[in-house]
Amino acid sequence: MLVLGIETSCDETAVGIVEDRFHLRANVIASQVELHAPYGGVVPEVAARAHLDALLPAVDTALVHAGVGLTDIDAVAVTAGPGLVGALLVGVSAAKGLALAHDLPLLGVNHLRAHVEVAQLEHGELEPPLVALVVSGGHTSIVVMDDDGVFRELGGTIDDAAGEAFDKIARYLGLPFPGGPEIDRLAREGNRDAFHFPRALLNDGTYRLSLSGLKTAVIRELRRLEAAGEEIVLADVAASFQEAIVDVQVTKTLRAAAEQGLDQVVLAGGVAANSRLRERFAAETEANGQRLLVPSIPLCTDNGAMVAASGANLLAVGRTAGLGLAVDPNLPLAG
Amino acid sequence: MLVLGIETSTTRSSVALVDTDRVVASASLGVARRHGEFLAPGIAFCLEQAGIEVDRVHGVAVGIGPGLFTGLRVGIATAQTFAAARHLPVVGLSGLDVLAFRARYTRRAICAVVDARRGELFWAFYRPAPGGVQRATDPVVGRIDQLTAEIEAHGDDVLVLGDGVLTERQRLQDTGAEVAGPELAWPDAADLAELAVPRFVREETIRPDQLRPIYLRDADARIGWQQHDGPAGGPP
Ligand SMILES: [Zn+2]
Repeated sequence: MLVLGIETSCDETAVGIVEDRFHLRANVIASQVELHAPYGGVVPEVAARAHLDALLPAVDTALVHAGVGLTDIDAVAVTAGPGLVGALLVGVSAAKGLALAHDLPLLGVNHLRAHVEVAQLEHGELEPPLVALVVSGGHTSIVVMDDDGVFRELGGTIDDAAGEAFDKIARYLGLPFPGGPEIDRLAREGNRDAFHFPRALLNDGTYRLSLSGLKTAVIRELRRLEAAGEEIVLADVAASFQEAIVDVQVTKTLRAAAEQGLDQVVLAGGVAANSRLRERFAAETEANGQRLLVPSIPLCTDNGAMVAASGANLLAVGRTAGLGLAVDPNLPLAG
Repeated sequence: MLVLGIETSTTRSSVALVDTDRVVASASLGVARRHGEFLAPGIAFCLEQAGIEVDRVHGVAVGIGPGLFTGLRVGIATAQTFAAARHLPVVGLSGLDVLAFRARYTRRAICAVVDARRGELFWAFYRPAPGGVQRATDPVVGRIDQLTAEIEAHGDDVLVLGDGVLTERQRLQDTGAEVAGPELAWPDAADLAELAVPRFVREETIRPDQLRPIYLRDADARIGWQQHDGPAGGPP
């Protein structure tokens, strides 16, 4: 069974092919980062135009990488939400054209859920219950995947998502967009204890996170140093800021696992590519005797393989969508 | 020769199956912003009702704008993958050409106008020609006063049509032009496919990956930043 997955929810045009739910056959990503960099963020109309230009070549390349033809494909999966509505529509429309052409089942995939389910390509069948941290540019959520595969949200950010905080601080430090990888790189040369930035809500007993205070604190500290005429070591700022974000996410997620009595933890989403977040999760889950499932970096950032994997799971339980499949820019993770 | 026509560049979406000289099946929807949900079921409906297997379709004709960006991309993305998957040739036609083609029986000059939203219009001028119409000017984007000035400067009697004229009826009539009503306001997939048939016959076709929309407006004309996975509204 070959499932082709299409992802166009934000700024990556991606197509993946997965065989029998667990085997990655192709994962092609046409990134638009350079198109959006001059604006310091993703411009929706720029993204939608670029998706349309890049999609058909990406489908062709994925088929070549997998060494198959379109007639070998058994089903087409596509991200139906959440994301940018104009961007999502390009992928969904393209998926419908393929489904129509060869009378293939169509699968409407939840992008956030797919970030978690992609772990099955490297770690095998997910065996819920488990706890997952889904962390990206627009999302920071702690969820439980229950025995029946249903997602239940325990908590999330009440203001900025982690990726958003990375981007904003990066812009403030004069680093290029996207900020996450830049801060990660810079932080490796810095002292993470140089500044003590706040960890909001760390011990409030809930699973809520708040990152806007941290952002303000970093900016205030930079202004103070500037006013005092002191030298600013950007690497130290980056390392200390990153440590604060990582601290909150690791602490809250692992506390959730402990309190819910779960010993499997999935780290998912674009920010899961952050090296310090991965390092801390690896060290602490090992110390706690928990099992950590974290996809390799190309499968953390937005990709088509995750859509194909999640779509293959939907196909396996017969949850196909009709050709009338609608996009939902605000599709929730829970459910 | 069976041609599938797709037109989703205005608030009205339509699909049609046209066999050389007659419409075999068609479907249309007059509700804006539902292009994405209508189009594929509309195509399936036409094939099914006409009892036609998908492998009998010879080519795909699709509206390439100018028009509403999101609708345009829905039509083009679907046409592209469908045609690529079936190894079919493609013809892309402007909705303005399709509108003017509908008015081909007039003796006047024709000005086709599509609503571009945000107080702007897309338009082009045409002149009657044997068996159809011929485009006289390239499509442009502009405001109503530019359009009325161009119509006045045109000299000949002008028939103005399209969804862009519906709200500006009086101002256009004041130029002395004849202003068509809602019956000629939206480009239709059946007309589009009919207009495309001779091109398929003459093999004046392109590959699916060569299809590009006519935008006539920069992508960053309306900046709005969005983060990964963020909730979003979009441009037209
Ligand atoms: Zn994502």
